[in-house]
Amino acid sequence: MVNPPLIRDEEVFLRMNLAERIQHWLLITTFFLLIVTGLPLFFYDVKFFRWLLPTGQSFYVRGIIHRIAAVLMIANLIWHLFYAALTRRGRQNFREMIPRWKDIKDAVGLFGYNVGLTRFLHGRGIGQKFFQKHPFWLFERHPLYGRYNFVEKFEYWALGWGTFVMIFSGFFMWNVELSLRLFPLWVHDIFIIIHGYEAILAFLAVIVWHMYNVHLSPEVFPMSKVWLTGKITGRELRELHPLEFERILEERRKILSTEAI
Amino acid sequence: MVYPGIYQKSQAVEKMTGGKTKRSLPLYMTAILFIFLSLPAAAQSAEDCLTCHEDKDLQSEAGKPMFVDRARFEGSIHGQAGISCLDCHADLGKVSDFPHDSPLKPVSCGECHGAALRQFAGSIHQASNEKGTSRITVGCKDCHGTHGILPKDDFDSETFAINLPATCEKCHLEKVPSKKGAGFIGGYNQSAHFKALEKSGLTMSANCSNCHGAHDIKGVADPLSLVSRKNIIKTCGTCHVGIQKSYLEGVHGIDYVKGIKDVPVCTDCHSEHDILSAEDINSKVYSTQVAQVCSRCHDDIALGRQYGFLTSRLKTFNESFHGTAARFGETRVANCASCHGFHDIRASADPKSSIHKENLPATCGKCHPGASRHFAEGRVHSAPEQIETAKYRASHVVKEVYIFIIAAIIAVMLVFISADFLRRILRKEKRG
Repeated sequence: MVNPPLIRDEEVFLRMNLAERIQHWLLITTFFLLIVTGLPLFFYDVKFFRWLLPTGQSFYVRGIIHRIAAVLMIANLIWHLFYAALTRRGRQNFREMIPRWKDIKDAVGLFGYNVGLTRFLHGRGIGQKFFQKHPFWLFERHPLYGRYNFVEKFEYWALGWGTFVMIFSGFFMWNVELSLRLFPLWVHDIFIIIHGYEAILAFLAVIVWHMYNVHLSPEVFPMSKVWLTGKITGRELRELHPLEFERILEERRKILSTEAI
Repeated sequence: MVYPGIYQKSQAVEKMTGGKTKRSLPLYMTAILFIFLSLPAAAQSAEDCLTCHEDKDLQSEAGKPMFVDRARFEGSIHGQAGISCLDCHADLGKVSDFPHDSPLKPVSCGECHGAALRQFAGSIHQASNEKGTSRITVGCKDCHGTHGILPKDDFDSETFAINLPATCEKCHLEKVPSKKGAGFIGGYNQSAHFKALEKSGLTMSANCSNCHGAHDIKGVADPLSLVSRKNIIKTCGTCHVGIQKSYLEGVHGIDYVKGIKDVPVCTDCHSEHDILSAEDINSKVYSTQVAQVCSRCHDDIALGRQYGFLTSRLKTFNESFHGTAARFGETRVANCASCHGFHDIRASADPKSSIHKENLPATCGKCHPGASRHFAEGRVHSAPEQIETAKYRASHVVKEVYIFIIAAIIAVMLVFISADFLRRILRKEKRG
């Protein structure tokens, strides 16, 4: 007799609860608004932006929307910080988010595995001794991820850093007079440059990295629905977050064995 | 009925004269005038002439209307002064047979208006008459009219300040367009000067003759022209006295006096006929447009090298928040003139300059209340190679670093994603 599996493929797990999803939705909205109302300053000659902001008044309104979105995003950030500090789930997630040595190994490992050059060399009998001593560099298997993989951790902390930089520089751009009371003009000029280029970096990173991982990647194409439903199936958990899957499995085994006793 | 002479008379005149031309009355009148007024021989009275010429349908054989409006003539400056037909149409004095042969000689206004004629002799109009290449000739009457000439301060005069533009435009709107294009002269009708004339009735506002002169009008290329480079500052300064003064104090004015040809004069920034108020959105010096005007010279590398000023002005300005906002039509941000001033622009090294280090806090403070010395500790819209102080270049260095970081991060991401795709393709092939 075969025991039914402890985690069925169809079983539903909650990856993002409602609070987390709202935080994400708010983040998307404010991020999008900030990009749309900020990029025109960077690409002032692009036709689309000239069409979007045909008059001086609309340009003024752009600035207001930008500031409103900024305040909302900061409010969202504060909520997130409290959530991460004060709720059990938040603290748990945050602990999972902390970057570890494994994440760097995973990143290198995934790249090496995908390229497969060392496997190829090994197959040809090159560098046998080295690979015997350091099997990691053979990249024989796809790295196994926990609740958050290095891609997600990178995004989270990049967002954290980016938000800090944007809030700091943006605050002084919003309050030019204050800024120039505290700093000379050349420092204020740095704030302006940082604000613009950090925005470009964030925008491109989201377009390239986040869009690939949650939209275009063949596993989830056209879109991972976690951000809408918050749900992930047992099968997805096994495939995408095997270590978390293992942990849950282990927990259940323990419960089962204590029950058996 | 056609008379043996030249005139074709209307029914009305026939009725009045009984179909005959009276000859005795004019002769009789002439005799009286000769005796009592001691005027030159054989003068006809206005009354005599009007006998025929008051007929509205009177035409020469060539079909030219020969009507003379009595009321207009009598109301004219000449009529009022008691000048009679023969004073101008002098060759009529020799005629004894009426109706007289036509045409009479053109009237020579210069007999009395000698000074005006002498001025006219040096004008571009007379030069063109003499050249004879244009089918249009210009004489006194083309601007002043004929029998109804009024003094130029009369509301109805063709040369009254408010009416003069229309008088000149009779020819210069279409028949004799400017070399600078069809709408060039007509642009005046949209100008602040014309608006002031027409809408506000400000007769001191500039009309054609205020800038171009009247009888002695010259071509713009003629150094004697009031609108030549040599004279334009003085010409505009006739009314805009204070502006002329401040222009001559600024860098542009100082170089202008030195005779430097590249320096902008009034018209280079404000345009010519279609000058608009700086508050007008279509003005070339409107707050969101003025950067285009200044950068015509100040982005010219050759000029910059010759006169030692910075270029890349427009690009660096556009990249600043002020410039970007202005490009989107925001008028409340600083434009070139907000910081540099306009007519009396000075070099930043000049202690009187609004952008001199010492004055920057005050200049910036116009919009940024409480602006401190910190406003002067940096470079406003400068390309990095134009900045001497190393720390003022910091933002440009940060920019370079950012560009490098962005390129590196995005490149790594793309390489990562490419490797991912590679593996998927290989896996599929293996399976297939």
